[in-house]
Amino acid sequence: MELKELYALIERFEKTGLSELTFKRNGEEVTLKKGIPAPAPVAAVTPSHALSASAGRGPSADAPARASDVEVIRAPIVGTFYRAPAPDAAPFIEKGDKVKKGQTICILEAMKLMNEFQAEFDLEIIGILADNGKMVEFGTPLFEVRRA
Amino acid sequence: MIQSLLIANRGEIAVRIIRTCREMGIRTVVAHSQADSDSLAVRMADQAVCVGPPPARDSYLNVRNLVTGAVLSRCDAIHPGVGFLAENAGFAREAQEAGLIFVGPDPEVTELLGDKIRAKRSAQEMGIPVIPGSAGSVDDAAQAVKAAEEIGYPVIVKAAAGGGGKGMRVVRGASELADVLRVASHEAEKAFSDGTLYLEKYFENPRHVEIQIVADRRGHVVHLGERDCTVQENHQKLVEESPSPAVSAELRAKMCEDAVRLLHGLGYTGAGTVEFLVKNGKHWFMEVNARVQVEHPVSEMVTGVDIIRQQILAASGEALEVTQEEVRFGAYAVECRINARSAGRVTRFIPPGGFGVRVDTYLHDGAVVSPYYDHLVAKLIVSGKNRMEGLTRMARALSEFVIEGIATNVPQQARIVAHPVFRRGIYGTGFIADMLKEGPT
Repeated sequence: MELKELYALIERFEKTGLSELTFKRNGEEVTLKKGIPAPAPVAAVTPSHALSASAGRGPSADAPARASDVEVIRAPIVGTFYRAPAPDAAPFIEKGDKVKKGQTICILEAMKLMNEFQAEFDLEIIGILADNGKMVEFGTPLFEVRRA
Repeated sequence: MIQSLLIANRGEIAVRIIRTCREMGIRTVVAHSQADSDSLAVRMADQAVCVGPPPARDSYLNVRNLVTGAVLSRCDAIHPGVGFLAENAGFAREAQEAGLIFVGPDPEVTELLGDKIRAKRSAQEMGIPVIPGSAGSVDDAAQAVKAAEEIGYPVIVKAAAGGGGKGMRVVRGASELADVLRVASHEAEKAFSDGTLYLEKYFENPRHVEIQIVADRRGHVVHLGERDCTVQENHQKLVEESPSPAVSAELRAKMCEDAVRLLHGLGYTGAGTVEFLVKNGKHWFMEVNARVQVEHPVSEMVTGVDIIRQQILAASGEALEVTQEEVRFGAYAVECRINARSAGRVTRFIPPGGFGVRVDTYLHDGAVVSPYYDHLVAKLIVSGKNRMEGLTRMARALSEFVIEGIATNVPQQARIVAHPVFRRGIYGTGFIADMLKEGPT
């Protein structure tokens, strides 16, 4: 299958109400799935990073206006955002959790490396802004937090 | 064919690449820093991905974010544009390892050409005239003095990893040489992490003429004639024209033949430029720029060949669209680089237009010229039947150009184009310095 065809298939699939699609032709098989946990992180977990509320802060036109004590934690690198260490594992954190400084809150996969990110201060998770398994850009809002 | 291209660059060149991709039906994703999130390229591209904060080392030079951004936004290729990572073999390798096509020559070729001593040796082995100089690097003062005496003063000290005038010094006698070597080596070490130096004969006030090449992976290497880039200020090109008023038909044939032979011999693919010094009707190889260059539209205007399009075709493994026999010369084209002299918001932008006029720019009303990046904001290119007509048209186009809110070099460009020395076409690289001695613009 040509990459172009695959892209077209993905784009069409995204617009449908289907949750799974398998396409077979000439011995090739492609399966597309939606709304499932992100694929398992496969590579070794790299040395961890602290993720601060100030990291990657930039023009924040895309960040919703909130109460002043709420801070937004943004992606410090481009990568795939994972909320859990593995697809069948529980997420690192949930909305409403109280998180201690140094606790891992997410993984950003970049170039086959799983970069763990930690809270840089004690905080409470007010909101989770990024979608699991989706690409985030530098500066994409990941979490809304309140300092504890 | 490439289906989806990440552009790892900004400004006018990102806009330029998007335009050709549109015509080719290629989806574009532009990588940008936070300072450029509202740029014209971001607005024009099919998709944009923010790769870092404003400083280039954290965004436009951030290999990991660029490659990850390309993969995750489902691109199958990366175009590095000009500057930034365009001649970085490591970036090309990372892209290839991630399964992406790098729009440029193979990393091994880029690496060889990036080492000016190796590049010069390759040219020499292929029988191309090179500037007389030290055989390889000079490692100490005694060796340098010996080499300089064989070459004859004045000599120029250059950095093997060179570029942009860094590590470059003119030496007129043995007494200065030891001190100059120390300073130049330190400067080169700081700029390129490589303090290796070599010596060359220094030519006073030469012409700087380069041959534009496009090459595919099927062994076709085609030249698009020369560009004369002699008008420079502090090693920065300001005006480029083709054909050169200093190059005879006989010299042109020799230079083009040498350039084609060199890049063919190296297995070069994509767009590239072979730079020569020209003096008294002779030419000497200087270096190869292993990328598309800022001034490439001059050759496009002369020949009608879209160089970015040839680059993309070549990177895709396709054949070039033109053979050497099909390339048409005869027209004249000239480019003035429009540089910002202050950063800020453009309050009014009225580009020139009309017959034979092309403007490549990222400016528009309200555009922001960021202090973080290169000062090039627009390229004004005009064509004409001959040099006289072209320069008359350029003077007319410059007089129409309105850019308010920031200061630019448009007045200086108008002065150059009107200058009797430039009009006569007989000048060297010292022209701008001489012009400025007559008084400030």
